[in-house]
Amino acid sequence: MADDVADDGVRDEGTETAALRAVVAAEHAAVWGYGTVGAALPEDARGPAAAADTAHRDVRDRLVALLAERGADPVPREPGYALPFPVLSAVDAATLAVVLEEGVSAAWVRLLDQSVQPPVRELAVAELGAAEVRAVGWRSAAGRTPVTDPLPGLPG
Amino acid sequence: MAPTSAPVPAGPSRRAFLAASAGLALLAAGCTAGSPGAPAVSTEEADRLAGQVAVQEAVVAAYAAATTADPALALSDLAAQAAGQLDRLRAAAPSATSAPAPSAASVPVPPAPPPGADVRGWLRGQLAGAAAAHAQACTGQSGARAALLGSVAASLRGHEAALA
Repeated sequence: MADDVADDGVRDEGTETAALRAVVAAEHAAVWGYGTVGAALPEDARGPAAAADTAHRDVRDRLVALLAERGADPVPREPGYALPFPVLSAVDAATLAVVLEEGVSAAWVRLLDQSVQPPVRELAVAELGAAEVRAVGWRSAAGRTPVTDPLPGLPG
Repeated sequence: MAPTSAPVPAGPSRRAFLAASAGLALLAAGCTAGSPGAPAVSTEEADRLAGQVAVQEAVVAAYAAATTADPALALSDLAAQAAGQLDRLRAAAPSATSAPAPSAASVPVPPAPPPGADVRGWLRGQLAGAAAAHAQACTGQSGARAALLGSVAASLRGHEAALA
């Protein structure tokens, strides 16, 4: 899919749509991943994972609808995903959640770079902020410092 | 697989999921502000970006003022991140650093928490305002500048959350 995203300096509805599809792919992975995050947490600590799962489902569905309005094919959910590392503890779960939020952040930033319509940028910057706020909580739970990212979604 | 890798679809479609990170590499390589391949920037866009440099300068000043008012808050990491963001914004908006020095009458008063105020709460308010300003400005920018402003806005929302 990266090959579908032009990077010749030209921004148009085509680049925007391709970047939107990449965000959908990242959101599918996040929804899948939060199932694993929740399952690895004690029952009384699953609230943030459930809230994040709902948030990612909602924005994914919103993006799918937006793509449908454009006549663009939505990106289907993959039949399966591979974990980047074993998730065997609450700390592992929080670390996976950080990975998920940072993954969607990268996709949102890519969309900001490739978009041409202010309402799309408005959506992207709002969701990027929401992802970073969630990531702050998960970095703290994972014992990572600093808990904030100076430039979420951008290469370090 | 490296511990920091994102979950990837199992099977041959793994490459598809890597679109975001691969695209980001392209973003870093090809869309840096001022690079030869970067899209042309309108004067209006450049002016708006310079305006956000002033917003970020106020954030850096707010961290300094909060640290002076309550050293126990231990804000050095967050303050350093804010300063780094200011450097990135200045690099993306050269006109902001080449402008003539303002007259004394036009220099804004640095922000400072009111005496006796909840310093943490005051700082969170400053961060929220700056994040909102950057986010609003982001929608009027394009390309790498929109990406940078959006990222800084998101980071400041994270700062606000970290101080809650």
